[in-house]
Amino acid sequence: MTDDWPGFEEFPAEAELPPDGMSRRRFVQLLGASLALAGLGACMERPRERILPYVTSPPDVEPGTAEWYATSMTLGGYGIGLLVKSREGRPIKIEGNPDHPASLGAAGIYQQASLLQLYDPQRSKRLRQDRKPSDWQSFVSQFAPASLRGRVGQRGEGLHFLLEPTASPLLASLLGRLRDLYPNVSVHLYAPLAYSGQRTAAVTAFGAALMPLYDVRQADVILAVDSDFLGSGPFHLRYARDFAERRRPSSPDGSMSRLYAIEPVPSVTGTSADHRLRARAGDLEGILGAIAAQVILGPSGGPEGLPDAMAAVLDRYRRDERNPGWVPEIARDLAAAGHRSAVVVGESLPPRVHLLGHLVNLALGNIGTTIRYVKRPLIEPETGHDGLATLVEAMQAGAVHTLVMLDANPAYTAPAGLDFRRALGRVGETVSLGLFEDETGRLSQWHLPLAHYLESWDDCRAYDGTAGLVQPLIAPLYGGKTVAQVLGAFLGEGDWSSHDLVRAQWSGHWGKADAPERWNEAVQRGIVSDTAFSPLTPLPRWNDIAAALGPRLNQGAGGMELVFQADPCVYDGRFANNAWLQELPDPMTKLAWDNAALVSPATARRLRVETGDELRLRQGGQQLTIAALVHPGMADEVLGLRLGYGRGSGDESLAEGVGVNAYPLRMSETSYSSPGVTIDATGAHHQLARTQTHWGLEGRPIALHTTLAHYREQPNFAREERGSPLSLYRGPPLGSGDQWAMTIDLSACTGCSACVVACQAENNIPVVGKEGVLRSREMHWLRIDRYFTGDAEDPQVISQPMLCQHCEKAPCEYVCPVEATVHSPDGLNEMVYNRCVGTRFCSNNCPYKVRRFNWFDYNAELAETERMAKNPEVTIRARGVMEKCTFCVQRIRQAQIAAGLEGRELHDGEVRTACQQACPSQAIVFGSLTHPNAEVVRRRAEPRSYTVLHELGTEPRVRYLARLTNPNPALQRERDGG
Amino acid sequence: MPALFPRSSNTLIRAVLGVGVIAAVGVPALLMVWVRTPPVTGQHDAPRQPVEFSHQLHVKGFRIDCRYCHSTVERTASAGMPSSQTCIPCHNQVWRTGPLFAPVRRSLASGQPIPWVRVNRLPDFVFFNHAIHVSKGVGCETCHGRVDQMARVQQAAPLTMGWCLDCHRNPEPRLRPVSQMTTMGYRPPSLQAQLDEQLARTYHVQRLVTCTACHR
Repeated sequence: MTDDWPGFEEFPAEAELPPDGMSRRRFVQLLGASLALAGLGACMERPRERILPYVTSPPDVEPGTAEWYATSMTLGGYGIGLLVKSREGRPIKIEGNPDHPASLGAAGIYQQASLLQLYDPQRSKRLRQDRKPSDWQSFVSQFAPASLRGRVGQRGEGLHFLLEPTASPLLASLLGRLRDLYPNVSVHLYAPLAYSGQRTAAVTAFGAALMPLYDVRQADVILAVDSDFLGSGPFHLRYARDFAERRRPSSPDGSMSRLYAIEPVPSVTGTSADHRLRARAGDLEGILGAIAAQVILGPSGGPEGLPDAMAAVLDRYRRDERNPGWVPEIARDLAAAGHRSAVVVGESLPPRVHLLGHLVNLALGNIGTTIRYVKRPLIEPETGHDGLATLVEAMQAGAVHTLVMLDANPAYTAPAGLDFRRALGRVGETVSLGLFEDETGRLSQWHLPLAHYLESWDDCRAYDGTAGLVQPLIAPLYGGKTVAQVLGAFLGEGDWSSHDLVRAQWSGHWGKADAPERWNEAVQRGIVSDTAFSPLTPLPRWNDIAAALGPRLNQGAGGMELVFQADPCVYDGRFANNAWLQELPDPMTKLAWDNAALVSPATARRLRVETGDELRLRQGGQQLTIAALVHPGMADEVLGLRLGYGRGSGDESLAEGVGVNAYPLRMSETSYSSPGVTIDATGAHHQLARTQTHWGLEGRPIALHTTLAHYREQPNFAREERGSPLSLYRGPPLGSGDQWAMTIDLSACTGCSACVVACQAENNIPVVGKEGVLRSREMHWLRIDRYFTGDAEDPQVISQPMLCQHCEKAPCEYVCPVEATVHSPDGLNEMVYNRCVGTRFCSNNCPYKVRRFNWFDYNAELAETERMAKNPEVTIRARGVMEKCTFCVQRIRQAQIAAGLEGRELHDGEVRTACQQACPSQAIVFGSLTHPNAEVVRRRAEPRSYTVLHELGTEPRVRYLARLTNPNPALQRERDGG
Repeated sequence: MPALFPRSSNTLIRAVLGVGVIAAVGVPALLMVWVRTPPVTGQHDAPRQPVEFSHQLHVKGFRIDCRYCHSTVERTASAGMPSSQTCIPCHNQVWRTGPLFAPVRRSLASGQPIPWVRVNRLPDFVFFNHAIHVSKGVGCETCHGRVDQMARVQQAAPLTMGWCLDCHRNPEPRLRPVSQMTTMGYRPPSLQAQLDEQLARTYHVQRLVTCTACHR
């Protein structure tokens, strides 16, 4: 079950170094001075504090009471519904909207961390023209049709818009009206991570831009072909929730689904799979083709009526001998599951792979059970006007007079081959709208601050088509405008507020009669009822599919392959200035504040490099230097690059100089993988800050895991890790009331890290920067430990959220000389900041290493706006005190007070910790042991529950449920044999 | 050789040592007493306010209930400070033009809030909730004193942690029926001891002395 895995570095880098920049003498000097000044400071009079009540009390606002509003955040073109907590008019916490189909109450890291972006002091604050400040009125009059027509032509020949692909009904209608006004206007929809393969394939296969939506609850066997559907993308919160439902049998008799993942770079989905199979991105088509061939042709040579062309194409895939040995086994398993299976193809893959995915799903009869096809919600690009390449072509030809870039940063994200920056010089006038005056903003003549979504009215569509409303929580801090407002200015129909634009759009949609009621309902719920797209029946065009796949076999090219992926923390770079996300360790590599070139151990040996060695990558006349990171589980001869780092020359100074910009190496604007990169080591070394550098379990029962088959044979395999070991220590007395406890299901946990950000936002956890992480001083109360087991080249991965275990016999409590950490009668291990003198004995004695020490006053230099993001219910900790997870005690006490005011007892589920609330797969459950029917009691009683480091007798209140996998016995034998 | 020090220096050194020992114990002890004295805790402190509002006049004279102005005391953590608008229903009728009322009129005209000086100040790491206290039978008077006798409001209690804990360890004697919450000069009936227990039971009063009850 647990096996040894070769560990790497056991101790953090620089652990032995003294703090820099200060000598011992200087330290003693300052110590004396601070003592003396502290003594003087105590003599001063108490400050007089003022109370400023309202002049006229606004309705619904009671100072000190939180309000919740429904809104949505759009990312990658699609919206996710949110509930935002507001205190005294400032948003302080973002959670998921349980009514929203893409959220179901969970929120991802980007949604939660977008709060910090709202308050970012480096946001763009003024509208400017050239170097001079300007104002909105001048902009409106300058670009209203009356004035603009003279410059771009009557029909808008020289007018070009660049914006992200969007599904917003409001933007769709505004763009439509813009085209009515300027028939020749060009609208370019571009985002560096907006891949077109899925759309192209659907148009070929069905003659319409359809898109598959999966119901993974119905699937017994799932094959993910380089698709991170559980960890990223616009519907991943929903998929993770649905997937987890089939992954945690409550008893040994229960069943589980089986997930195969084939991918070049380990992802959250891949590491959650029962079989993660490594393959180069270029080989995925051949692999899926072979699977399709075996599923469709079978032993009999295919069903009757199979077009000859299709049979020929499939036969070629079948006869391809380079395919790995596990291919037939996956095909057999899929075929056995029949219509209760699903093939999920990654958005970034080329159309041919998507076509093969459609083929397998159609052949297995999955349509209607695990898959429904809906219309693609994104605005359809017009032929010839889409993408960045056509825009750059027009710019170089001097055909672009006015270029309006709405919330896009092409100067940073464009591939170097396009040379966007030089082309920009040939444009008559440039306008950029952005949250920051970024690389593109700096190069534009006009720059307008964009309103953050928490400051604006807007609308959006979720991945399944459900329309959602964006509602502001706060007035624009810096007078920002929305994309819709800027488009409205070009229509010249007066100066619209963002509210009026959205309201008019939906009133028009509903018709006059019932508009106000429906509007109020939509604003309150955050979604517009009954707007999800209904499933359509796809009508496959077999000959077109066969023609698109044939005639020749698309063979993966040799040599090193580059794979470009969105960074799991900073996305495409737009969150690079977000300190929470920079400090959030990459769920796979545990790397913070940096990016690196991921290589497999075998490839690293061949290249003779180790983690931290700098590599020079050369491709297509471009080159860059980036540190290597040896990552087990990478496909051999593949180099994984994370996009979104290496920002520079903009206002975002936090992001500047962090990591390396990988965009220039891309061959085209949305290329995902490309073969033929040349690599050589420069000999230099770069220090990478990782929060975890040792990942073997060393044979200890820390993250228990087993197979479903073994669990059925020995349901009590975890028994020895439960119960009270012999002990002389009696522990502190407990009260008769609620007894708080938590369970974490490792079978459901995907390691996505939403809980880490939730905890950071809820509990005012500071960031420490790269230096701090290098010295292992990160402050996260909840971290996710990632362990490798099995094969050192291609290990199994277990993610284990680790937080204060709230031990009933807590080792930290009896070593504290000042009683700063004590036990509450309701079973919490309390931390009393005001008593703490910073001996750190508790941290030393904590076997789980979950206590964090404030080495500096991390909150001292926060900007005024950043302080607004703090949760007023939680103390801001000072320098020199210890802190750790409190089980969100502020939420417990608030719920207790609310129940007390109503004169009733708390009921189960009333207190939800921040991590539990955010978890998309509901792996974390919190509650009181005194409620007999509580979910937490039920889960604790499951046979696979255990406590970490049970033999120490700490009796933690956090119990884990061992991770179960459901491997295919045939492949398992193969693996064991090899 | 004659002694280097006179004999009297023995006494002197003993005296110095003695004083040192007394000081080592006494100075910290005195400091600990001192921080609990009214000058440090701010007890009886009655700062000058931007409006010469007399609680004595409004509470005792006109018998206006505390909750007319501090309206959220039964619902939220904060008792609520009245907006400038709160004065108007009455002061439209009386004392509309007096100089004492001028700051309120100015606030209403300019839209600027009245900068009241905080009298009862708890440190930022204390999370006090008014609503739960009054719903459990703690009257306004229990902590804020005889506000009906204060022309200028002052801090009635020391507001030290020890003072909080006195009640948290033994709440029963300080309880009153919730209906008497805002009564000033509340006199418990003669069978107080019996009533105490009854109230504590009725309101489910707990002896909350765990740290996170107030510090989070």
